[in-house]
Amino acid sequence: MSNLIENFKTLKNRAETGHPAWLNTFQDERFANFEKAGIPTVKNEEWKYTNLAQLSKEKFDALTDSEGAIPEEYNTYVNKDELNIVFTNGTLNNELSNITEISGVEIKTLKNALVENEEEIKAILAKNDIGNTDAFIELNNALINDGVFIKAKKGTVSEELIHIVHLTTTDKPIVNNIRTIIVLEESTEINVLESYVAFGNNAKYLSNSLTDCFVNDNATLHYVKAQTESEASYHIGNTRVSVERNANFKGFTLTTNSGFTRNELDIVINGEGSDGTLHSLYSIFNEQHVDNHTSVDHRVPNCTSNQLYKGILNDASHAVFNGKIFVRDIAQQTNSYQLNKNLLLGKKAHVDTKPQLEIFADDVRCTHGATIGQLEEDEIFYLQTRGVSRKDAIRIIATGFAEESVEEIKLKAIQSKLLYLLQPSIDNLSHGQL
Amino acid sequence: MIEIKNLHAHVEGDGTEILKGIDLTINAGEIHAIMGPNGSGKSTLSKIIAGNPEYEVTEGSIVFERDFKKIDILELEPEERARMGIFMAFQYPVEVPGVTTSLFLRTAFNEVCKAHGVDEMDALDFNEYLKSKMAMLDMDDKFINRPVNVDFSGGEKKRNEILQMAVLNPMFNVLDETDSGLDIDSMRIVADGVNKLKNDNNAFLVITHYQRLLNYIVPDYVHILHDGKIIRSEGKELALQVEEKGYDWLLS
Repeated sequence: MSNLIENFKTLKNRAETGHPAWLNTFQDERFANFEKAGIPTVKNEEWKYTNLAQLSKEKFDALTDSEGAIPEEYNTYVNKDELNIVFTNGTLNNELSNITEISGVEIKTLKNALVENEEEIKAILAKNDIGNTDAFIELNNALINDGVFIKAKKGTVSEELIHIVHLTTTDKPIVNNIRTIIVLEESTEINVLESYVAFGNNAKYLSNSLTDCFVNDNATLHYVKAQTESEASYHIGNTRVSVERNANFKGFTLTTNSGFTRNELDIVINGEGSDGTLHSLYSIFNEQHVDNHTSVDHRVPNCTSNQLYKGILNDASHAVFNGKIFVRDIAQQTNSYQLNKNLLLGKKAHVDTKPQLEIFADDVRCTHGATIGQLEEDEIFYLQTRGVSRKDAIRIIATGFAEESVEEIKLKAIQSKLLYLLQPSIDNLSHGQL
Repeated sequence: MIEIKNLHAHVEGDGTEILKGIDLTINAGEIHAIMGPNGSGKSTLSKIIAGNPEYEVTEGSIVFERDFKKIDILELEPEERARMGIFMAFQYPVEVPGVTTSLFLRTAFNEVCKAHGVDEMDALDFNEYLKSKMAMLDMDDKFINRPVNVDFSGGEKKRNEILQMAVLNPMFNVLDETDSGLDIDSMRIVADGVNKLKNDNNAFLVITHYQRLLNYIVPDYVHILHDGKIIRSEGKELALQVEEKGYDWLLS
């Protein structure tokens, strides 16, 4: 057994769970699955460009921790009057959280949900038919410490931001297994932002998150994941979404100024007349690494999906995009779009991009593309002829490239937060094409 | 205001000479037109004045005079030329996705302010200033919140160039084939803008293939450029002769 698996096993056994018996059994089974699967290597096609060799050598001390001061940036980023569910180092922070009520929406920690909604949670955890089922999902299931359960009840439409914050403040190497479950009953619409932030913390830790979203008939989920973690950290995040009839998933993922990141976003379209939108921006520098894997599974006819992944790479950063589109044989009249656009500004930056289309229906429209390039010299020159220095021109154009994505997000409250997180990467832009 | 002497240039990395010794002097308050057949070097001249790095000057000078100081601009970066008061309206204005026209204009305006030691304007004051310029040019303010030139019609792009000219208030203006791709109404609007901006302290160099634009922007001098050299310079009547007889009679 590898040292890391042994390490996780020790942490699992040490944890005092107080869980119901079924959950202990479930977690034992899942850990066995994780052991069997093992840590993926680059020989695994899905991990070809994201090498976990370094992670495999790490040693982690705990699942949660209570050390560390709240950084100043946190108070700028989070509006304490908004609905916030805040976890520091894997534990609910009652002081920072502000779980106000939204009429028609149940919002609680997973720990509470395990008591109050036990049967429902049990059923959801047992589901394993949406998207990815890899080793880290097994690990998350085996080690879940806490998380959030959100349920929008039939007919509820809310414009209010539900902000889930995972803040790491400790210097200890922890393994934070966060589980988020979002259920939208029929004809509902809500906005959820999940933030993974460390703000200046340089600790080595692993966030292994799993978010499951169930978007039922006529419902719309606006889901944003924003991530700015320690440069020494590892983030492995899985988001799995199922979309039923006439429903919409509007997803956005921001990764900026982070460490070693792998995000997987899988969406299964189960009901006709639905749409899945997966947009993303990554803006990275130094030796930061971000790998975005997506999978859109069209299982029924007459649906659309739209993937736009944009990246800005400075210095020696590395990005991976692997986007899958499956169109099942009955999924006629599918319209599916995928584009990965990369601005390569750093001399040592590089991108690996790979579209993967598997289409079994004949009456469909699927387009995909990928671009990797520098800024257009004629755009830079145009700004220069108006008095803007070359350096500022590069900054302005690259900022435009980034902001254009962020401005598609519906809630302004989320837009301004993401722009705030983007600032360090924008300030670091000038290294590139000078 | 500007004095071009014996200007020779070729495309960077390609030895073929495009400009083969241009001499041209333009004074404040004047409008000059440069006409010429395709491939004569008209656009190259405007790009070199603006500082496009795709061209290399091998001989000659371009001296710009401002506040009784003479400066050879060839060693200056494009932005330094712009801040001194040199402006080029592009033949093909460039699209800049994600950057709104108002932010773009304000950034450019404040760069010029900074260069001249004048206080920068905040967004609120600048918007008022911008509105006054748009009113002067009879322009609709709907596109100032749209990204620069993105999804603009040909006419809107050219009007945006004139708006930039109005906002930055440069001394020496080059219009590089501004009439290309414009219908007659758009051309009239663009020309009206230029006529409103013209005064005794600034100067214009209008580069065009056709005489049409010069009906609206009336030049003091017309120069014919051929094979990288100015082969004839006269008053505005020369443009009419070109319209009537084409270029061939001048070339033989």
